[in-house]
Amino acid sequence: MKNNKLIYLAIGFVVLVLLAVFPFILPKLQLNIVIEIAFFSLFVLSYTLLLGYGGLLSFGHAAFFGIGGYLTAIIIRSFPGVHLLLVILISAAAAALAAFWVGFFCVRRSGTYFALLTLAFNQFFFAVALKWSSVTGGDDGLGIKLGDMYLPFVGNIHMHSTTNMYYLVMAVVVLCMVGCWFLLKTPFGNTVAAVKDNEDRAWFIGYNVLRTKLTLFTISGLIAGIAGSLFVLFEEFVSLGCINLVMSTQVLFMAFIGGTGSFFGPILGSAVYIYFTEWISGITENWEFFLGVLFILLIMYAHRGLIGIIGFVVDRFRTSE
Amino acid sequence: MGASLLITQAMHGVVYGMLLFLVSAGLTLVFGMMGVLNIAHTAFYMLGAYLAFSVAVWTGSFWLALLVVPICVGLVGAVVERFFLRKVHVHGHGYELMLTYGIFFALGEVVKMIWGTFPLAVRVPDILAGSIPFFGNAYPVYRLFILFISLLVLAGLALLLMRTRIGIIIRGAVFDAEMVDILGQNVPLVFLGVFSIGSALAGLAGVAAAPFLTTYPGMGLDIMIDCFVVIVIGGLGSLGGALLASLMIGELQSFGVVFIPDLALVLEFLLMVFILAVRPQGLFGEKG
Repeated sequence: MKNNKLIYLAIGFVVLVLLAVFPFILPKLQLNIVIEIAFFSLFVLSYTLLLGYGGLLSFGHAAFFGIGGYLTAIIIRSFPGVHLLLVILISAAAAALAAFWVGFFCVRRSGTYFALLTLAFNQFFFAVALKWSSVTGGDDGLGIKLGDMYLPFVGNIHMHSTTNMYYLVMAVVVLCMVGCWFLLKTPFGNTVAAVKDNEDRAWFIGYNVLRTKLTLFTISGLIAGIAGSLFVLFEEFVSLGCINLVMSTQVLFMAFIGGTGSFFGPILGSAVYIYFTEWISGITENWEFFLGVLFILLIMYAHRGLIGIIGFVVDRFRTSE
Repeated sequence: MGASLLITQAMHGVVYGMLLFLVSAGLTLVFGMMGVLNIAHTAFYMLGAYLAFSVAVWTGSFWLALLVVPICVGLVGAVVERFFLRKVHVHGHGYELMLTYGIFFALGEVVKMIWGTFPLAVRVPDILAGSIPFFGNAYPVYRLFILFISLLVLAGLALLLMRTRIGIIIRGAVFDAEMVDILGQNVPLVFLGVFSIGSALAGLAGVAAAPFLTTYPGMGLDIMIDCFVVIVIGGLGSLGGALLASLMIGELQSFGVVFIPDLALVLEFLLMVFILAVRPQGLFGEKG
């Protein structure tokens, strides 16, 4: 057991070192892709918390990603000098608040009703973003200009640079992921597992199932908001694409490709999704169709995702030895 | 706004409401029986509209489209049920739901591949093209025709469910599928049949909507949200609830567009949230 812990620590250390030197060894194009994988991993992780750990299937997770993104753009446009970390915090808080109220109505129903309600709320937020064009820019979206960010002991950092943006995104993503990892180890994490396993039993034991689900939904919304905020900081642009159903579908696909039963599924899922779409959109114009087919095949034949397939192969390998 | 205009606007609401009912009827029936909300349902509706366009262009006959397209879409539905949904059934409802979502997505892309992304207009036969006087206003005949078709379907569904032996089995399966299975009925076959009929109804609604709302790639998604709101308000699995809720949403949209164009959608959601807060199972839904 102690040995295992040491191995994990060593792996974690190696990964951190690798992440730290990436900007020096990767070409700029690849670095951009790694940044993309990073914030989408975080978004997918927030989704996996809901679906994989909480058993709550949402079709509207882009709502919170989008709220985080839109708020980031609006704050930076209205108050140009404000500190970026503060912007991320406020955007996350707003997404969490929205998630709380949406969750307040949605978690009362489970299964199909929940899925359908989240989808309806997503369309509602989308409609607001589309119609309220004086604030959100409507169809055109909003562009932002990034200034410098001040950090103690370091000084002012120029943010309109891929390398600096890489470190900002990585720092926030790794921090959030570690936070989620420990959150799942707390009594709250165990309660979530108990609720997913059997709701009635959890009620009878004395857990407040609704409160647990609402808390999980709010936390998930918060993390999605952070991911959305990072997305907009990186793109320096926010548009309806952040908040529409396509984004909600994308996060579902990414989560499913990686596998929703594992903590590292989101990273694998978003990496494979991004490289796969990059590759196949170069081959055919109708790549979204093949994406849909891949998703259907996964659900029918490998519903634990790539992590599940890898686990299966590793097991086979071990038993055959 | 005069009284005659109000009546016209109310009629528009009824017509859209009945069209909504055509789509949500199959959805709610399938859900009641199989416990599966078929998200691909509105993709069937869209497929119906596009097929109607092609049939009308090839043969020049809208009537033929009205006859053939629902059958084709019903067959597509049968394939989806038999070869996709049934295989995933053992994994639980969550996976069935995601599967139908995947099919919705893939069908949407197929439609874009075949027919492109531009809106297509389907021509109405000459008999249905004009308007007739209606309470001092001219009212388009085609909208009345939609009303006529949906009333016909409503009557047919009511007869099928309430007055035939198959109807008893279906209603029994909605109530308790396992028990009906034990009593010796071929429940998987009933599922297949209801799923196909539901899909065919969506296809029919698509044909009816094609000349009225124009045919475009987003039409499935656009009606999906209305359908879901209808089902939440009416209660999943309830045909009566679906009818009432469809008419409510139809009227809300019809008058909302006139009085408060930007807030019509918001009103719809407020209504849904209100119903959820007061009566979470929907107007006619059973607790669960």
